[in-house]
Amino acid sequence: MAVEFRSLAHKTWRTIASIQTGVVLLILVVILSAVGTIVLQRPVTEPDEMQSAYSPQALRILDAVGLTDVFHSWWFLGLVLLVSVSIVAASIDRFPNSWRYFSRPYKCPDETFRRALHPQKSLAIADEESGLVAAERALHSLGFKPETVVREDHFAIFAERGRISELAVYIVHASLLLIFFGTIVDGFWGWRGTLNLNERQTSNIVELRDGKTRTLPFAIRCDATGQENYQDGTPKKWWSRLAVVADGRDVEKKEIVVNDPLLYSGVRFYQSSYGPNGKVDKLTLIAAPGNGSGQKQEIGLAVNDTVPLDADTTVRFAQFISDYFVRDGQVYGKSNELENPAAHLVVRSKSAGKDFDVWLPPMDEVADNSKSPYRFQATDLKMGHFTGLQVSHEPGQWGVWSGVVLMGIGLAFVFYVVHVRFWVVPVRDPKTGKYSLWIGGSANRNRDAFEQRFKDLVALVEEELKAVPKSELDIEPKNVPAQRVATVVEN
Amino acid sequence: MAHAKAEQQQLATGMTLIVMVGLAIAFLLFMAFLNVVKSGNLLSETNLLFATLIFYSGAGALYLGFGVTGIESYVKFASLATWMGLIANTAAVAHRWYDAGHPPFASVYEMLLSFVWTLAVLTLVAEKKYGVKVIGTVTMPVAIVGVVLMQLLRTEVHPLVPALQSTWLHVHVTLAMLAYAACALSFALAAMFLIQDDVKTQTFLAVTSASTLAIYASIVLTRLDKWGGLNLVAWNPDVKAEVFLSRGVRLFVTIPDLGWLMTLTLLVVASPLVFYALARWKKNDSFLTLANRAVFLSILLQVMTLVMFLVRAHDGRYPSLDADGLFPTSLAASPFILSGLVGGAFISLLYLLLLWRRPDLERLLPSTGNLDRITYKTICIAFPLLTLMIASGAYWANQTWGSYWSWDPKETWAAITWLVYALYLHMRITRGWRGRRAAYFAIAGFAVVMFTFFGVTYLLPGLHAYA
Repeated sequence: MAVEFRSLAHKTWRTIASIQTGVVLLILVVILSAVGTIVLQRPVTEPDEMQSAYSPQALRILDAVGLTDVFHSWWFLGLVLLVSVSIVAASIDRFPNSWRYFSRPYKCPDETFRRALHPQKSLAIADEESGLVAAERALHSLGFKPETVVREDHFAIFAERGRISELAVYIVHASLLLIFFGTIVDGFWGWRGTLNLNERQTSNIVELRDGKTRTLPFAIRCDATGQENYQDGTPKKWWSRLAVVADGRDVEKKEIVVNDPLLYSGVRFYQSSYGPNGKVDKLTLIAAPGNGSGQKQEIGLAVNDTVPLDADTTVRFAQFISDYFVRDGQVYGKSNELENPAAHLVVRSKSAGKDFDVWLPPMDEVADNSKSPYRFQATDLKMGHFTGLQVSHEPGQWGVWSGVVLMGIGLAFVFYVVHVRFWVVPVRDPKTGKYSLWIGGSANRNRDAFEQRFKDLVALVEEELKAVPKSELDIEPKNVPAQRVATVVEN
Repeated sequence: MAHAKAEQQQLATGMTLIVMVGLAIAFLLFMAFLNVVKSGNLLSETNLLFATLIFYSGAGALYLGFGVTGIESYVKFASLATWMGLIANTAAVAHRWYDAGHPPFASVYEMLLSFVWTLAVLTLVAEKKYGVKVIGTVTMPVAIVGVVLMQLLRTEVHPLVPALQSTWLHVHVTLAMLAYAACALSFALAAMFLIQDDVKTQTFLAVTSASTLAIYASIVLTRLDKWGGLNLVAWNPDVKAEVFLSRGVRLFVTIPDLGWLMTLTLLVVASPLVFYALARWKKNDSFLTLANRAVFLSILLQVMTLVMFLVRAHDGRYPSLDADGLFPTSLAASPFILSGLVGGAFISLLYLLLLWRRPDLERLLPSTGNLDRITYKTICIAFPLLTLMIASGAYWANQTWGSYWSWDPKETWAAITWLVYALYLHMRITRGWRGRRAAYFAIAGFAVVMFTFFGVTYLLPGLHAYA
């Protein structure tokens, strides 16, 4: 029983860790993502648009399966998690081998290895020593740091470069997991919403995408907002001067523009839109007494402001309609566009004990402009503007960015760092007793370019072999191996 | 004897070609001279572009001549012409950059400018470093088409809307152009591998016909009006922009009868594929001869459609279904249809080149082993570029919209492209896929790239409305 269970577990593990599983999962991700770009997605598409695009039954089915919000559905998340598991398992499965490569380099090639390796080359040498010296020099001149290894009966030289390349693929996989982790954290704990502020308005309530609201522990006040245009009238810049208000104090101020958000305690505020809010910032009027006697005066009013005109009379700016029309004795607004503006003033006379409705422009049906003790003339109208802020909290984004950086590094190692190894072993032919220098090399990728490098090395060694004078070796034949013994690495 | 005669004939065609190219360059130079005299400003962007066009045309003709005749000395002159064109192109890019005050990536026109530049650089790299001399035969015509398209599109500096004023945008688009150019190169190399690997000419027939068919089918399906007109986006020549009815909703005008022509061309373009299918089904090769003739016919019709499209969409006022009155349109309003039409004709022409000159091509191309390796290396360059492109785009989106990933179609398809190339690398490295399977994979990868670049903008709505 136990054996069976173990073999089953082993089989399962092999399946999970296999490259086929990974490939099938990735293909599934590709297909489902593609479906998610073709089927209209909520909440980006408005509900009525969805209803006009699909028949009710089709929409019900799509909704039930989750195809109208593929990228936030539980099965897509599950798929991403499965991909993660597959990556982790594949890495665990293969990592020990690569780690052995990385941590315990194979320095002293045995005979079987020497026979199988490609490329390799044997050069005739006079004795062990001259061969080793020539190989060391050649490797040095190619910029390697050759290391001499001593085994019971023979020497070997080992040189390598770019060992990190063996682990690079794990760096890439780890970075991918880090990115997944970041996005999943954001999916659960992050939120996004909008906050529209009129000038001089303060608010701490963010409208989230799903229609709910979220109250921030601090408030945002918009001090001013505006737009700059190019000469041809297209918008060049939108800006807002924002202040963060916490405990009744301004704790931070910043002028934000598109591409340059305000960040406060993990919450980002982005400039996303700007426009007239259909409300009056200030209406400037000239008021003249209706009987023709007395001074004209200029007054400025915001909505709901009340200003005295003389000791007996006050005027209140009761209502502003940016695009008005009149029907059945009532004034209505059509839109927020500044098309047909109308202002409703209420003039109160204490002595008469009466309110007069004054409409600008005059509307005979509803207004009693002519009865009012004052005549008004509008000279200037300054409209208010709102700034539309995108608000987001993404606690996982640091995982994403560090994952991206790590992936860049990992990919650079994967594609542009090659693990190059050279071995040099002097071999004595047991029959003839003559020495030859065996040179072998291996590279973990880009092997055609490596063959050329190998040929270069062999040519250099041949040159060095000619250049090493016999006399030099005769003078100190004993010292050189003595030095080498000091760098013995037990393999 | 026969061999010597063939050789002589080849030399004769070669000479004719040289003379023709010489005459064409002289003509263009003369026109350019007139243009300079007229404008009085030697180093204007128009003139630089004109110089680019002249040199690229010369290079393209010479590369084509090399492709057809195999005379090595053409390549020298061709690369010389490419170098000259590249200098003029670089100057045009610099001029544009200086004029606009931002790197030239903001509009279709500016991106084409940068794309053509990248293509020329990559052609020279592929030729000098890897010895793929014939690559210019494919890339230079593409570059010429690019420059011609630029002449048709708007040229004045267009101010950037606020969301696009970011260094990260420039980084993002540069990386995208580089990555896509590398993917295009890997595709061309994979196709050459298949030629060298003795894939049947009729298979190329099927694939090229299917590609042109896809182009015409997507145009007809999305733009055919029910009365046989062709719907195009209206263009406001005063502000040099598309006309919008409301946010994100473009105003379409209908050019009468052009839709019928498109449908006719669609049918003719589909016919080689039908004949190919018949040949496979009935196992009768005489259908293949018919199919080849149909390709020839389809090229004639495609050119006719293109000319009609150019004539009628270039300038003119047409009625619209959505609003009263006549509205102007322009080629600049339909860059994708235009490139689709040009691309379709180009693909069919490439097939004819293969049909008629296959032995010469096989003689000129590097060995299968080399092509296989270079394809892989190109993808090794393209993949990190794709990664960085997506990352810089995400960073920019985070700066602008407050979210690094919003699953909009363009983003999603960029991720799909990345995954497809990741799959290629895994299959190649861990499963040892080489040769044909790898080449097919590289070609599929590029198909996804093309869909991401054109298809998503054209067929799927999203945030990337700028490009």
